[in-house]
Amino acid sequence: MTAITPTPAHPSQRGFAQLDQRGTLSFAGVLRSEWIKFRSLRSTTWSYLIVIAISLGMALIMSLSMASGMSGGTDAAAAPADQQLSFIVQSSVFGVYFGQLVAGVLGVLVISGEYTTGMIRSTLAAVPMRLPALAAKAVVLFVATYVVGLVATLGAYVVTSLVFAGVDVSASLTEPAVFLPLLGASLYLALVAVFALGVGTMLRSSAGGIAAVLGLILLVPTVFQMIPAEWAQDLLPYLLSIAGMNMFTSTTAEATADGFGFWLNLLIVLGWVGASIAGATVLLKRRDA
Amino acid sequence: MITAEGLVKRYGAKTAVNDISFTVRPGQVTGFLGPNGAGKSTTMRMVVGLDRPSAGSVVVNGKPYAAHRAPLHEVGALLDAKAVHTGRSAYNHLLAMAATHGIGASRVREVIELTGLESVARKRVGGFSLGMGQRLGIAAAMLGDPATLILDEPVNGLDPEGVLWVRQFVRHLASEGRTIFLSSHLMSEMALTADHLIVLGRGEIIADAPVADIIAGGTRPRVLVRSPHSSQLADLLAAPEVAVVRSDAGVLEITGVAASGIGDLAAQHGLAIHELTPLSASLEEAYMALTSDAVEYRTEAVR
Repeated sequence: MTAITPTPAHPSQRGFAQLDQRGTLSFAGVLRSEWIKFRSLRSTTWSYLIVIAISLGMALIMSLSMASGMSGGTDAAAAPADQQLSFIVQSSVFGVYFGQLVAGVLGVLVISGEYTTGMIRSTLAAVPMRLPALAAKAVVLFVATYVVGLVATLGAYVVTSLVFAGVDVSASLTEPAVFLPLLGASLYLALVAVFALGVGTMLRSSAGGIAAVLGLILLVPTVFQMIPAEWAQDLLPYLLSIAGMNMFTSTTAEATADGFGFWLNLLIVLGWVGASIAGATVLLKRRDA
Repeated sequence: MITAEGLVKRYGAKTAVNDISFTVRPGQVTGFLGPNGAGKSTTMRMVVGLDRPSAGSVVVNGKPYAAHRAPLHEVGALLDAKAVHTGRSAYNHLLAMAATHGIGASRVREVIELTGLESVARKRVGGFSLGMGQRLGIAAAMLGDPATLILDEPVNGLDPEGVLWVRQFVRHLASEGRTIFLSSHLMSEMALTADHLIVLGRGEIIADAPVADIIAGGTRPRVLVRSPHSSQLADLLAAPEVAVVRSDAGVLEITGVAASGIGDLAAQHGLAIHELTPLSASLEEAYMALTSDAVEYRTEAVR
């Protein structure tokens, strides 16, 4: 740290008389600010690298085990084309089961990190209307996570295709039944991150937010499956992670494992995200920072 | 210009700020003084809209802070040196704050230079000392080249050189016609920096006057008396308006009676006096006198 000397003609003198000629607060500016904040933290880089690494790693393990099962027993190349395709899609999106946990943690940290460090007071002093700051965080998080999700699932598709090429099984990326699940999986990943952002805003704590998000994704479905009551089984497909998985593990838009189809599952996921962001909006606006 | 009217902040049953009204004028340094817990920080947070007043209002340059089109150009605030994400570098922090208002990287470099942070600007804020954190907070407050500056305890954690720098810096900014609102619990620092003082105690304004008036009006003269008959003398002096403090054995500090009165009384009763010294009032004492009834967390006097 260098010594500082008082400078009578410091830079603040310039422009003081021309207050109205300078920039104003705008949503584009807030968006840029949130992007700078997002990319300048190590946790962002690490989280995304982990998402990609898990996706590639899981695709490798999954495709190797499926391919070896085939070469030993059935004639894989003789399997029907839609079954071949389903192998490859399953392997390509498998990493998202784990990636969603990382995306959830990142989503919580984007805001809880500001609460735990006190940064939120700087953020809200610069954007006193508050909601543009939350909206900008959501946009940045959604877009970045979607892009990373695409990289992760496309990479997983490449790994899977290379492995399956050894047993003469292939599925073209230009097939809607191949690329739609990849796009859907990336979309789900991005939506989980935004959902977690809302939870983090409501709880204002990293530990609490992460526990709540991971609990909902991992624990709640397991608990519901164990409840020996019909209502629990009926509610199961409406849970965030179950609807999310069903959204992209189907190969057609019409029929999924639960028969809801892609659009209805997407709607359920959007409902969770909407509820979370709505709660965050109300509390952020109302509470003292 | 900051104008508060009937400002109240309650946290549950506790009233942190109780119906205060004041005006902070441009072209001078207004000190905001009070013991810890008096409500200074709460008031400052309400000015920039971080806390919502329970009642009353506060406006900056005629509008609520949040209603301005470019809040950072109206008010620069250092409310907490640690209001920065510890994982981000000082440069990126400032760049992100500046981006909200479309302020460019060249201004970011200017405020880094202005606050002497060049050598640590690329380092993560988590490793900063309190003093470096204060400089970063001042740099962030200056980003928008604001007409009004709110600084909450800006000299906390600064070395003597830094304290001097802040003092000269805010005096210079005030001389440019800006409004400077500066809080501290240190009267001595305020005496050197501020033109006008608003003294807060237990959430209420105790004094709102030029510094000179507060020194003159805030204290009553004290007299130091050394006598082998100190306890007898103390009993004789006992009266509602007289305060007697026994410091050392045989030493009294008396407020409320002039030195001549004490001497005459001692002579009447034939008590020997070894020392009789009128003590001049200091600003520190004026402050203590003002806030003695208003200290939130009082420590037992050491005897």
